Amino acid sequence: MVNLTIDDKQVTAPRTATIYEAAKQNGIKIPILCHDKKLKPFGACRMCLVEVEQMKGRQIPACTTPVTEGMIIRTSTPDIVKARKMVLELLLLNHPLDCPVCDKSGDCDLQNLTYEYKVNSNRFKDEKFNHSIDYNNPLIERDMNRCVLCGKCARICDEIVSYGALTFIDRGIETKIGCEFDDGLNCEFCGSCISVCPVGSLLARPFKHKARFWAMTKHTSVCGYCGTGCNLTLGVKDNKVLTTIYDEDQGFHKGQLCVRGRFGYQFINSAQRLTKPLVRKNGRLTESTWEEAFEVVVGRLKGGSAVAALATARLTNEELSLFKKLLVENVGTKNFDHAGGYAHTALTEGFARSFGASASPANILDIQKSDLLLVIKTDSYETHPVVGFEINMAVKNKGVKLAIVSDKRGKLSKLPDATTLVHLPGTEIAVLNAIAKILLDEKLVDASAVAGFAELEKALAGFDVESVAALTGLRAADIKQLATDYAAAEKALIIFPIGQAYPGHNADLASATANLAILTGKYGKEGCGVLCLSEKNNSQGAVDMGFYAQDGGLNGLAILDACADGSVKTLFVAGENPLTSYPDRSKVKAALEAVEFLIVSELFLTETAAMADVVLPVCSFAEKDGTFTSTDRRVQYFKAAIRKNVQIKSDFEIFSELIKRLGGQAPSSPSLQFSDIAAKTSGYAGLSHVSLRKDGAFASVEISPALVVPQAVTAVCAEQGKLALVTGSTLYHNGTLSQYGEGPMHVCPEGYIEVSRTDAAAYKIAENDLVTVSSTTGTIQLKAKVTPRMPAGVVFSPYHFSETPINTIWSGAPVTLVTLAK
Amino acid sequence: MSDAVAQKAEEQEPVIDLSIADTVIDKYINIPGNLMPVLQGVQDEYGYIPRVVADHIAERLNVYPSQIYGVLTFYSQFHLKPRGKFIIRVCVGTACHVQGATRIVDTFFDKLHIGHAETSPDLRYTFEKVACLGACGMAPLAMVNDSTYGAMTVQKVEEIVADYNQRPLK
Ligand code: SF4
Ligand code: SF4
Ligand code: SF4
Ligand code: FES
Ligand code: FES
Repeated sequence: MVNLTIDDKQVTAPRTATIYEAAKQNGIKIPILCHDKKLKPFGACRMCLVEVEQMKGRQIPACTTPVTEGMIIRTSTPDIVKARKMVLELLLLNHPLDCPVCDKSGDCDLQNLTYEYKVNSNRFKDEKFNHSIDYNNPLIERDMNRCVLCGKCARICDEIVSYGALTFIDRGIETKIGCEFDDGLNCEFCGSCISVCPVGSLLARPFKHKARFWAMTKHTSVCGYCGTGCNLTLGVKDNKVLTTIYDEDQGFHKGQLCVRGRFGYQFINSAQRLTKPLVRKNGRLTESTWEEAFEVVVGRLKGGSAVAALATARLTNEELSLFKKLLVENVGTKNFDHAGGYAHTALTEGFARSFGASASPANILDIQKSDLLLVIKTDSYETHPVVGFEINMAVKNKGVKLAIVSDKRGKLSKLPDATTLVHLPGTEIAVLNAIAKILLDEKLVDASAVAGFAELEKALAGFDVESVAALTGLRAADIKQLATDYAAAEKALIIFPIGQAYPGHNADLASATANLAILTGKYGKEGCGVLCLSEKNNSQGAVDMGFYAQDGGLNGLAILDACADGSVKTLFVAGENPLTSYPDRSKVKAALEAVEFLIVSELFLTETAAMADVVLPVCSFAEKDGTFTSTDRRVQYFKAAIRKNVQIKSDFEIFSELIKRLGGQAPSSPSLQFSDIAAKTSGYAGLSHVSLRKDGAFASVEISPALVVPQAVTAVCAEQGKLALVTGSTLYHNGTLSQYGEGPMHVCPEGYIEVSRTDAAAYKIAENDLVTVSSTTGTIQLKAKVTPRMPAGVVFSPYHFSETPINTIWSGAPVTLVTLAK
Repeated sequence: MSDAVAQKAEEQEPVIDLSIADTVIDKYINIPGNLMPVLQGVQDEYGYIPRVVADHIAERLNVYPSQIYGVLTFYSQFHLKPRGKFIIRVCVGTACHVQGATRIVDTFFDKLHIGHAETSPDLRYTFEKVACLGACGMAPLAMVNDSTYGAMTVQKVEEIVADYNQRPLK
């Protein structure tokens, strides 16, 4: 700590602090415009000028100048005020001053500073900027006439997002922020640039002229898309969610969001939302009353084990645990699951046997504290973009090494010094086993005491790295290098995504990663372990609530089989959309057609809901209270941001009512249900809605390690004229819900197939050509994307889309052989 | 697309041979700070920096395309459009201005039918007004590629144009 004097006040500050930070920590406000605490110091605007006595009273920028012992600083002498006024006058000189129609008004740093410094006249005269305004982009409006050239947008897009869409272009008076060749913006649309822009140069287009900033109420919430668990601030007016508002202090991610979190909120107030219960009469879904709907549903739920249920991992912990209670205690069935019953097995089976807990022994905060990140599949960026930001920052700012094992290259491969081992699709477990073998052979391990050591050693005895190299298409030397790097790193963290489109990321993959961590003792410590990125906002919660097949209950896919063969007669689907999200569309369709009675609770009339006998309209996360558990087991409480439509109910209310009608007792509120959860769920003890109010809390994970022999699938043999299709998630979407978010649909409205340049040339496929893709199960037409990241012979397609459902050609295998035709 | 149309499109947008860029990139690929030399080298080869080449450089050097464009528009030495075989520069610095540079400029405009920073459609000429070329003693001054023409007159402009009109384009 150093001692210094700011405005005659004796203060102390950390040695590494800048004058600006020291002042801020001591409650002294220095105005800033180009500075952002998340970004590297820039020092361009000169708004933060202060006087330092030791520097002969020279005016220096507080945001870039480090403190030194004994510094005497003045932050607002008449000279400084004059200088700041001058800065503002110069900025206002070319600025259009169109505040009355600017959506930034009320939240604009330039406006606020102008007001604060009472700049009511300008001594200078010059022409206004005359840059053309980009009104065409559906998500981001760019008006460079309002720009103060602080560079924050370009810097955040580089330093945190690592996309680099924006930069300073042209020179001199013509200098402005733009894209390559002054094109339109075609980027990730994370909106980070909007959030840091101090003026109205970058604005959220969907929010254009929707409300004045001060007319909205701000509600904190938790993102309802992926498992990262980002916190949101929703801007609400007239009971409508109009936008997401940036708060640089919010959550571990400091307000950073991805395109889904920032622009995917429109589904909440969508006109397509269901508002009345529907009951099938004479073959048609007809608007009905809750009374009638409940009566029919209760009648069907008395069927015991002939009843089965699928629930989306987007429901709250309170809802999932209550649903389970309803099913087990009041209905009398063990047949319930989520995510197809396979997408969570990395946790429920893999980590359960390897770590003794169905949760990751690491959290997102470990990423920046590690020395080496081993990422399985570059898709980790697309599935969890804000986790991706953490990886970007770790690699770019902290010098963390990044090694990637993947079936294709990706955005992460472009990070400085990242190495990407591109293996043949479906062979990742073999690669991981080979690493384990090398660790053992080279005696890089200290795990002989761990359960299963001898078995693993024996199982890998016949394993030889050369043949794995041949099988996986890698070079043995590269696998060896990776093993050595992993062992040598003091702290190393393994990351992989799971989800319905990643069937290969199963229990064996989880155990294969766990083996590496356990063999080298890299778990249970800061910056170490394995972080499994679960797909939905409450996937980990669904696992923690035990909402999956156990004790002989049927799992997700088996439930559909049982529907098809008639042993399940009533299926209750709470929020899932298996027709699009489960493998093998025709099989799912046949099952849903075969089941005697289908109940669906949903926000929208999805293609699954359209097949139901009863449809119950339910609340989105913005209309209810509860908790979500993030992928790294952070339990977060959120409150309703808007009042729900009086005609709809939350799933919680529905399950409570059903329990009552079936003669049971239901808790009266989600917080009471949570007390029950806290009492029964490992790691949740002591948590309550009240204690979670501020930042949530991590549910602890107790680890008891064991080495397990993972089964490596043998590579799918390439066949003449066929390509290997791998499925996955695209950056702009999560599950099937984001189809109802206008933002994601603007930038990625339909499915596509990503083809390597080599294959594109061979098949004469150009960008956006419609390609017919066929497998043994079906045929689909998809638009082509030709990208340098795909290896020859491998194609990729995302799964989210009802209009272009990839499950017509995909029946759940990690790799599917397909043919392409134009 | 009919063959004739296709051929026309090809004439307008010449197919860029990226292997030329690759040769330059290969030379610098492992050298830190290689962006400027690569851009300069590539411009020497193509005479300007075509967009596909800029994108290709971005991909190969793993830099953002926007960053390349930022550099290309920051330094006046880079050109984003094809340039003429003969670059005519007329000085409009103070000394040359006083000696009647404006008339020289106007005469070139008349004769070449192109304005400042423009290139003739046949890619024969690019015309530029420039600030002091550092040879004020010879004002008014013009240059064609590396040849200097001092004490310019309207007559001389006509001679120069007649001369360069004769020269082969290939
Ligand atoms: S939206 Fe995100 S990726 Fe796009 S320019 Fe802004 S910061 Fe960059
Ligand atoms: S657009 Fe906004 S953030 Fe970017 S430089 Fe201009 S004022 Fe700064
Ligand atoms: S979708 Fe995931 S990464 Fe994106 S904002 Fe929501 S929680 Fe964060
Ligand atoms: S805030 Fe310090 S120079 Fe801009
Ligand atoms: S002014 Fe023309 S050469 Fe100096």
